[in-house]
Amino acid sequence: MASSNRTLLQSSIVRKQIVAVTGLAMVGFLIAHLSGNFLIFAGPEAFNGYSKKLHDLGPILWVLRIGLIAALLGHVVLAIKLTGENHAARGGRYAVSNSRGDGGFCKKTMIYTGILILVFVALHLYDFTYRDKTGDPTIVEGVNGGLSLGLFGLVWNSFLQPWHSGLYILAMIILGFHLSHGIQSLFQSIGFFHDRYTPMVKKIGFALAILLAVGFISIPIYVNVVRTPHL
Amino acid sequence: MSKKINLTLKVWRQPDNRTSGRFEVYPAQDIDTDMSFLEMLDVVNDELEKEGKDPIAFDHDCREGICGMCGCVINGQAHGPDAATTVCQLHMRRFQDGMTLVIEPWRAKAFPIIKDLAVDRSAFDRVISAGGYISVRTGAAPDAHAVPVPKDSADQAMDAAACIGCGACVAACPNASAMLFVSAKVSQLALLPQGQPERDQRVVSMVSQMDSEGFGNCSNHYECEASCPKEISIKNIARMNRELTRAGVRS
Ligand code: FES
Repeated sequence: MASSNRTLLQSSIVRKQIVAVTGLAMVGFLIAHLSGNFLIFAGPEAFNGYSKKLHDLGPILWVLRIGLIAALLGHVVLAIKLTGENHAARGGRYAVSNSRGDGGFCKKTMIYTGILILVFVALHLYDFTYRDKTGDPTIVEGVNGGLSLGLFGLVWNSFLQPWHSGLYILAMIILGFHLSHGIQSLFQSIGFFHDRYTPMVKKIGFALAILLAVGFISIPIYVNVVRTPHL
Repeated sequence: MSKKINLTLKVWRQPDNRTSGRFEVYPAQDIDTDMSFLEMLDVVNDELEKEGKDPIAFDHDCREGICGMCGCVINGQAHGPDAATTVCQLHMRRFQDGMTLVIEPWRAKAFPIIKDLAVDRSAFDRVISAGGYISVRTGAAPDAHAVPVPKDSADQAMDAAACIGCGACVAACPNASAMLFVSAKVSQLALLPQGQPERDQRVVSMVSQMDSEGFGNCSNHYECEASCPKEISIKNIARMNRELTRAGVRS
């Protein structure tokens, strides 16, 4: 039995299903993350308060973090392996290839958008999770009498730099591409197909991908429009 | 009304799997538009033979879209430009006078080239041997109403059973994945009462044989469904994904 379970775990289908389920978990995280981020519109107190509440979770936060890191690693490692196998399986290349499906820029670029998102995640963690939340970068000029605004201030100042906002927005557009295929595709991988509901799942998945991307992008845009936060 | 057209063919020529291949250019003159694509190749081959050249090797048998032997990629599309059509059913009236057609074999690591456009699809046979059957004693056929089958299951099993195993799904898939073929074969039995006793073992064995043949993984591009001459639905792929999870949970 043990050996048959091992073959199952090595099967192309089960490995893809792991990519699908870890992807779904990360979509769940993105929804929670964006909901929290929206508190930036409510001002520093609400935003920093939310961040503090998360940190006060202590060990629970670490369980969630480790779960998320495991999901990310599983997703990335398996997706890279599967893509490598797919390239090998192709054999010779066609001199002419002419898609008759819907072509699908997003489908073909999943591995590239995925890798770019991974790079973004590393930079993003350095930017807003790892960096000190009390020093100079957290003081928004001309607000709060020159006192630190904590994480809120750090985020605000970062987004006031055009290159920083620009890269962030670019990363979120790439995320939107990745999710626009990813969300609807994961249902097929876990075996969900229904004549009536699958077209709906596709539409909702696509809409969710756009909503998430637009939601995240709205934050740097808001910061750059408002420029001085209301306390 | 039939007319005559002239075409230029760029055909993949490869003596065997160990030798590398290349494209050769041949004229196809005075082609009757009522001909099928394979008849056009016959005409070109006659000319090649007259010139003492080696005719283009291609697979075919029934020439009426039911055996699954024929197949090649024409201008980047498996079985050519028409939907739900095998290359033997494709008519030359589909092409315009003066066109250039690039004709290539199915390209997949799991389908080694035998010669020119003919590829070795015995990987499919090995997947079937791994579990694409039911083990029953033969004898007199049972009465049709002896085993009740819901209409919907019967229809879906019939749709899956329409697969002729031509390999266009593998050829069209960017990953050379055989998921559409294997899932059709898994589905046609999983949907029917006769397939139940071996249901779990079947999907596990067939998928593991599919993997070891060197086919790629499905990444939900759905080029297979769009290229399938029998319009097999990717619904079957979702079903196979489900079947495998089910087998795993029950093992
Ligand atoms: S020759 Fe039989 S399907 Fe084309």
